[in-house]
Amino acid sequence: MKQFRYGLTLVIFLALPPARDLLESVMAFHMHMQMMLLFVAGLLMAPFFQKHFGHIFGKYNETGLPGVVLFLIILLYWMLPRAMDEALELWYVELWKFISLPFLAGVPLRDSWKKISRTFEVVLFLVLMVIFAVLAYLYIFAESTLCNNYLMIDQQTVGWGFAFLVLCIIMYILLVLFTDQSQYFGDDSESA
Amino acid sequence: MKKPLKIVTSNTLALTNFATAFALLLVGGFLGLVQGLNRAGVLEIVGGINYYEVLTLHGILLILAFTTLFMNGYLWSAVDYVLGGLTKGIRMLGWVAYGLFMFGSILVVIMVLAGEATVLYTFYAPMAASPWFYIGLVFVVLNIWLSGIGVFISAFRWKRRNKGAHLPLFAFFAVGVYVLITFSTMFVAAEVFYIIPWAFGWIDTINVMLTRTLFWAFGHTLVNVWYLVAVSAWYMVLPKVIGGKLFSDSLARAVVILIVVLNVPGGFHHQIVDPGFSEGLKFMHLFMSLAIAVPSLLTAFALFATLERTGRRRGGKGLLGWFWKLPWYDVRFLAIMLAMISFIFGGAGGIAQTNNQLNQVVHNTLWVVGHFHVTVGVAVVLTFFGLVYWLIPHLSGRVLTKKIHNLGIWQTMFWTVGMLFMTLSMSYVGLLGSPRRTEYTTYGGSETALAWDPYLLFVGAGGTLLMVGIVLIVYIVFHLMFLAPKGYTEFMVVEEQEEDAHKTPKWTENWGLWVIVAILIISMGYVVPLVDLIGNAPPGSPPIRTF
Repeated sequence: MKQFRYGLTLVIFLALPPARDLLESVMAFHMHMQMMLLFVAGLLMAPFFQKHFGHIFGKYNETGLPGVVLFLIILLYWMLPRAMDEALELWYVELWKFISLPFLAGVPLRDSWKKISRTFEVVLFLVLMVIFAVLAYLYIFAESTLCNNYLMIDQQTVGWGFAFLVLCIIMYILLVLFTDQSQYFGDDSESA
Repeated sequence: MKKPLKIVTSNTLALTNFATAFALLLVGGFLGLVQGLNRAGVLEIVGGINYYEVLTLHGILLILAFTTLFMNGYLWSAVDYVLGGLTKGIRMLGWVAYGLFMFGSILVVIMVLAGEATVLYTFYAPMAASPWFYIGLVFVVLNIWLSGIGVFISAFRWKRRNKGAHLPLFAFFAVGVYVLITFSTMFVAAEVFYIIPWAFGWIDTINVMLTRTLFWAFGHTLVNVWYLVAVSAWYMVLPKVIGGKLFSDSLARAVVILIVVLNVPGGFHHQIVDPGFSEGLKFMHLFMSLAIAVPSLLTAFALFATLERTGRRRGGKGLLGWFWKLPWYDVRFLAIMLAMISFIFGGAGGIAQTNNQLNQVVHNTLWVVGHFHVTVGVAVVLTFFGLVYWLIPHLSGRVLTKKIHNLGIWQTMFWTVGMLFMTLSMSYVGLLGSPRRTEYTTYGGSETALAWDPYLLFVGAGGTLLMVGIVLIVYIVFHLMFLAPKGYTEFMVVEEQEEDAHKTPKWTENWGLWVIVAILIISMGYVVPLVDLIGNAPPGSPPIRTF
C-alpha cells in the first residue's frame, strides 16, 4: 500500500501544470524523465493491483508474456515522434500518456517480471537495447526535425540519451551474464 | 566480519604519502598566509612571485595534492588493515602511483613558479597555461586511477576468498571513494586532453563553456570525494574513539552508495549563473544538487544517534546530559567532532548556493571562499588532523605521548579559531561584495571597497592563526613519525554495530550495478548541456594569457 501511495503521488505530481510545463519544455526531459517516471510510478503501484485484482493477472498474464508484450506495445507507441507531438497538442493524448505508461506499461511489467525466466529477462533487455539503439541512430542522424514541437538540437540530445541508455543496458547484460547476481538477492546477513 | 590483522603491512608507503602530504601542507599553508595578509592590506607580495601565482599554488597544493596524498595514505592503510594485508604487487602499484604523482606535481609546480601557469587552480579555458602544466595534471590523475585499481583488485580478491561475506565496511568506503574519484577524474581527463592541443597551438580555438562544464563535473565531485573520505572516518573511527558502536552497517553502506551514484551531476550548480543554459535545465540540476543532502542528513542522524547512545552509556542523563559525557579532552574525538559540527554550517551554506537567486548575490565573492574553507578546510581537513594522532603512530610503531596530545588540543583550537575568524569574515565581506581571486585593492579609494577593510583584517588574522596550526600539526606528524617513544598504537576501527541494527542487505555489495546506475544518472545530468554546448558551439576562444 505504501508503494501504491508513492506511485500515485508521483503521477499526481507529474500531472501538476508547473511540473508538466518544465518536463515537457525540453525533449530529453519529456522522453527520458517524465515518461520514465510515469513508468516507474506504474512499477510502484503494481503490488496494489496484484493484490486486489490478482485473478485478472492470474487469468490474462499467467505466463508473464502478455504483460511483456503489452509493455513493449506501449513503449513503442511512445517512442514515435508523432505520439509526443500529439501529447503536446491534444489533451486526450496527454491523458492517454498519463494512463498508458503507468498502468499499461509499469504495472504489467512488474507483474510479469517474477513470472518470466532469467533467460527471458536477458532477451527482453536485448530487445530494448536494439530498440533504443535504433532510436539513438534515428534521433542523432535524422536530417530534419522529427518532432514538430522541438528543435533539431533537442532531438539530437534525446538520441545521445538513448545511446547512453544502450551503453548502460549492454553493461547490465554483461553484468548479469558474467557475474552471479543471485549472491546479491539472498537473505540478509550479519556484518560490521 | 573477518578478524583483522593487528598492523598495516604497507606502512612505509602510507608514511611516505603522509610525509609528502604534510610537507606540502606547510608550503601551501604558508602561501595561504601570504594571500590572507595581502588581502588584509598589510603585505605586498614581492620577490618575483605575484598574488595570482600564490593563489594558484595554494589551491593546487592543498585542494589537490595534500588531500589526494592523505586519502591514499589513509584509505590504503584502512584497506590493508581490514582486508588482512596487501600483496607485493599491489604495494608496488602504490609506489608507482606515488612516483607518477610526484613527477606530475613537480611539473605543475615548476610551471606555476616559472609564471607559465597562472590560471588559478580552476584551470579551465580561456586562460591558457603552458601545455606542460596540463601534462603534469595527467600524471596526477594517473596516480588516482592506479590507487583506485589497487583498492579494487584488493577488494575483489578478498571477496573471492570470502564468498558470501560482506566486504568490511572500511574497505567498502574505500571502494566507494575510488569509484567516485574515478568518475570525476574522467571528466578532468577529457578536459585536459582537449586543452593540451590548444595550449600547444595545434588547434586555434577552444569551446570555453565545454571546458568549464567538464571542469566542474570534476571539481565539485572532487570536493565531495574529500567529504566522503571524512565521512568514512566519522562512521568507522569516531565510534571506536568514544567507545561506542556503529549505528547501522546497512545505513552506512546505503550512504556510500547514494553519495557515489548521485554526486557527479551536482557539479552543474557551480555554473548556475553561467550564460547559455536554460532556466529549466538549471532548475532540474537544482534537484540533482540537493539530492546529495539526503545521504548527508542520513549521516547526521546516524552520527548523532551514535554520540547520544554512547553518551548515555557513559551515564549522561536528561535531554542533553549525554553531550557532556563525550570525551571532549581526547584530541582524537575533539578534532573530528568540531569538523562534523562545522559541516552543519558548511552544508547549509552549500545548499544556499545551489539557489539561483542567492547564488547571484554571492557568486565570485569571498563568500564562496569562506564556504569551501568551512567544508574542506574544517569538515575535511580537521577530520584528517584528528586521524593522525593514532594512524601515524600505528604506522611508525610509536605511541602518542601526553605532551603531543596536549599540543594537539592547542593545534585544534588554533585551527578552529583561525577558521572561525577567517571564514566568518570572508562570508560576511562576500555578502558586502568583496570579490574573490583578487589582489588587495581599494579600487582607487572607493568607499565601498574601503568598507571591506575591517573584515579583511580578520581574514589576515585568521590566516595567521591557521599558519600556527599548520606548523603545530606538521611538527606533531613528524614527531609521531620519527621521535615519539616506540610502542604499539591500536588501529582505530569500529568492529560492532548496535544490537537493534538491521542485518546488512546483500544487494549493497552489487558494485557493478551501482556503477551502471551512476553512469545512468550522470548521463541524465550531463547529456543535455553537453550536446547543447557541442551542437550549438559559439565561436571558440584563442588561448588568453593575462599573466
